[in-house]
Amino acid sequence: MVRDTASHLHIRKRLLTLFALIVLLMIALVVRLGYIQFVLADELTEKAWDQWNRTITARSSRGNIYDRHGRLMAGSATVETVVALPPQIEDPRFTARALAPVLQMSENRIYELITQKRAAVYVKRKVEEEVAREVRILNLPGITFTQETKRFYPNGTLLSQLLGFVGMDQGWGGLEIYFEEDLKGRDGSIVFPTDNLGRAIPGTHRFVPPKEGRDLYLTIDETIQFIVERELSRAMLEYNPNRVMALVVNPQTGELLAAASKPDFNPNNYNDYDKQYWRLYPITDTFEPGSTFKLITLAAAVEENLYRANEGFFCPGHATISGYTIRCWTADRGGHGSINFLEAVLSSCNPAFIVLGERLGAQKLFEYIRAFGFGSKTGIEYPGESSGLIFRPAQVGPLELATTSFGQGVSVTPLQQVMAISAIANGGYLLRPRLVKEMREADGQTVRESQREVIRQVISRDTAEKVALIMEEVVLEGSGVNAGVEGYRIAGKTGTAQKVGPGGVYVPGEYILSFIGFAPVDNPQVLIYVAVDGARRGPQWGSQVSAPLFQAMMKDILSYLEIPPAKPIGEEELRLVKVPALIGLSINEAGALLDMAGLILKPVGFEGMIVEQTPKAGAEVPLHTSILVYLEDLWPEGDSGVVLMPDLLGMTIKDAGEVLARLGLRMEPSGSGIAVEQDPAPGVGIRKGRAVKVSFSSPLQ
Amino acid sequence: MIKERTAAKEAHHQADTIILFCVLILAGFGLVMVFSASYISSLEMRDDAFFFLRRQAFWVVLGLVGMLLAANFNYWKWRRLVPLLLAANFALLAALRIPGVGVEVNEATRWISMGGLTLQPSEFSKLVLVIFTAFYLSKKNVNIHNFWESSFVPLAVMSVTFLFILIQPDLGTAVALALITAVVIFVAGIPVGQLLALAALGLPLLAYLALSEPYRMRRIFSFLDPWADPLFSGYHIIQSLYALGPGGLFGVGLGRSRQKLYYLPEPQNDFIFAIIGEELGFLGALTVMLLFFILIWRGLIVSLTAPDVFGSLLAAGLISIVAVQAIINIGVVTGSIPVTGINLPFISAGGSSLFFTMFAMGILMNISRYSRGKGT
Repeated sequence: MVRDTASHLHIRKRLLTLFALIVLLMIALVVRLGYIQFVLADELTEKAWDQWNRTITARSSRGNIYDRHGRLMAGSATVETVVALPPQIEDPRFTARALAPVLQMSENRIYELITQKRAAVYVKRKVEEEVAREVRILNLPGITFTQETKRFYPNGTLLSQLLGFVGMDQGWGGLEIYFEEDLKGRDGSIVFPTDNLGRAIPGTHRFVPPKEGRDLYLTIDETIQFIVERELSRAMLEYNPNRVMALVVNPQTGELLAAASKPDFNPNNYNDYDKQYWRLYPITDTFEPGSTFKLITLAAAVEENLYRANEGFFCPGHATISGYTIRCWTADRGGHGSINFLEAVLSSCNPAFIVLGERLGAQKLFEYIRAFGFGSKTGIEYPGESSGLIFRPAQVGPLELATTSFGQGVSVTPLQQVMAISAIANGGYLLRPRLVKEMREADGQTVRESQREVIRQVISRDTAEKVALIMEEVVLEGSGVNAGVEGYRIAGKTGTAQKVGPGGVYVPGEYILSFIGFAPVDNPQVLIYVAVDGARRGPQWGSQVSAPLFQAMMKDILSYLEIPPAKPIGEEELRLVKVPALIGLSINEAGALLDMAGLILKPVGFEGMIVEQTPKAGAEVPLHTSILVYLEDLWPEGDSGVVLMPDLLGMTIKDAGEVLARLGLRMEPSGSGIAVEQDPAPGVGIRKGRAVKVSFSSPLQ
Repeated sequence: MIKERTAAKEAHHQADTIILFCVLILAGFGLVMVFSASYISSLEMRDDAFFFLRRQAFWVVLGLVGMLLAANFNYWKWRRLVPLLLAANFALLAALRIPGVGVEVNEATRWISMGGLTLQPSEFSKLVLVIFTAFYLSKKNVNIHNFWESSFVPLAVMSVTFLFILIQPDLGTAVALALITAVVIFVAGIPVGQLLALAALGLPLLAYLALSEPYRMRRIFSFLDPWADPLFSGYHIIQSLYALGPGGLFGVGLGRSRQKLYYLPEPQNDFIFAIIGEELGFLGALTVMLLFFILIWRGLIVSLTAPDVFGSLLAAGLISIVAVQAIINIGVVTGSIPVTGINLPFISAGGSSLFFTMFAMGILMNISRYSRGKGT
């Protein structure tokens, strides 16, 4: 056998095959390379561009918030943020140790931050000026600053719940969150090339300028807001309630002029306050309205021609519906007796309104209630508005109809009441409430201007005027006398609602005392709602608590708005009223007498009959004068040298002085304004002639 | 026999100058690209922008000297050196396993330290295997149709070397070694049936090796979708594509690569072709491939025209050292095949590779001096 060795013939063939294979592979690689460098090029370049360039956000500056006259309510100030540039830090351990005490952060946390593989990291954002200065003095390599903005509220707590506040980067409450998109604007960016260690390298920088936020001009008037909050703070001191609230609107336009509740918070350091104080209760919370709701029943009855002022009515002090007995508030003294419907309305007689409700029928009454805006949101531009709850037609039996007609068993927001009563004030139109008058771009150009927006006409102009006149009577000679402002035509209605606690049960002894009213009656410009929720001191009727509060606000607001009085003040004689004899009466009886006289009851002591009063019975005093009445438990039986220490908190210096003098005690006052602290505490026995320390404080502090 | 000896004694003519020029251009271009790719990181990490350039230049000079010597060393004499070469090969590979002699870098022991210089024995192995296989298969008493007489011994030697390299571990180089040896066996005229059978035996083995180490498996399949694991197994391919893509037709300009700014790790090494594609574009990369193609073509011509079988097989093996590695490297850089640590001949930074490849080209040039149909 011939040995077949490797030969040139074989090799030649194989080499050609090899060459062909190599040519094929090379061509494949060239095609692949071309595919990458031409077809995939754009996509790859785009992805590579992302990795080659870093983006630094250029934050837009947040828009300001002004009141209706351009007074600054919320603005932005420049503050500094401590930034670390990790690639430039030489000794991270040392840097962390040096920064920790100044920034009040743990050394390890800082070390973690500054050793990250990034071009720049925030170490601590928005630091105080002093901290920034101390960091500067340390002069650490790789530690620098960037400017950021911090929200500030020049008026502190004023309007806080409406404005809300801004967290680290965005609005967290109130208008700040509702108008976040408009206020914030749009961040811009700076894009620059870097190496893979995050260091900038020469190349084109791209700058996308930020779009600045828009400014809000509110319908709120800072001065009116101030008046309202001043009075609310005073009421907080005087009555020591859970909370107080007020809304002021222009009933012709639907513009809110003031909106406040207390306790509130300071948006400059919102974290120091309980979260529940961040919201504006009159918009977010619902209550049982009580007697103020009777106006809705009344308006419906007038519109349907089911109410005649001089029609006779007998109030036995209660009404029996489906086996349930519903009491009139006059049940203790046997009811109103034989009166006419006007008198029944003026004295807020429950059985009279039950009759009006029955005449309307469930269908009609609930139609009106819904038409006045109850049970649905008003559409205000504020986060967290409640719609309240009213019976659905299917749920309404005779009992539900009866209670609803005098304001029980419904849940409404104060804002809904304000808009409903505005319809009575403005000739029958339910308006959409407005908070923002204008929105402007940073360059001043107006982008939005709010207009009066009629949701529907609820009642005729004629009916509205009739009801307004009845409301004026309430203030002239009904339960609202304490709300009257000398010289002006005021319309109003008190409300005393029992508080509904968790589970829908009434909380005994806890009331929401409210008052709603407007002025001037012939051309209403101001409508105010005030409510005192859960007063723990003083009388428990709207007429004695919320009506004077309303009066104090209305008086100053009318004067601020330069609304001329109907009758020039002083031209006519000051209206004087006779102080009734109160000795021997209970607090309730005395209150009822003083309500009708337009005087304000100031009880001293805790329980029992009235044993003393100042001024004395028969004295002639101006309207709205406070009458101090002393209860019998102040002088304990047995020891004539000892008296019970009364509760002085909320009293003026003059009243506290008078009370202590009457009890034979000396006063050691400090400060001025309203009593906020006393020693000894109320209810403690004290020997006559001893000194009582009382500190006073202005409600504005 | 007498004729061959005579032929081998005196040169018939000049060496192939095209081969020389290709090698010189590629190595010179390598110097430029190594410098371009490395000077920023060298300056920052080693405080010496010229660190890699100087090292590369040193090895180019050494390689030129080696190439010159080899070109003037009668290739026929390599046959007598075969036992010595095999002994040196295994001695060097074994020495790697001696602690203190082998240098461990990135958990792999591939280098021997020799007084400041490092030597990569596996680069030497490729040359030895080519010379040995060409020698063995060109023996007169070998029946190339008989597996046991022809391929078995070269394959056995290759397999042992393969295992030595595999445990370094350096699968890429081991595979390259197997392919280079296979080229010589193929060119020798081993029957196609045997080759297919060998491939059928070898592939499952290769598959096992690839899949036995989890890191290898991830690396092997990541080229199909590098974005599935962009930070680890897919990272190199993605960064390589990010260099090639923006390069386009003309490139971003010499020295202006963005990817060498720490995006593509050690850009002067295995992925230098990506930097070429980025800085000089498709045209630059194509030029490099063209130079390789010309070189390979000339090498095959040398093999084709060699005066004897040994010269033919030797030339084919030597040029396949360049061909196999260039094709694998460019395949890896373009994301066409799994990532293997194979560098680009003449261009990538690396002393042993450069030296032995240039030395191999020297031998090739020596063979070209005896080519038939030329000069005489």
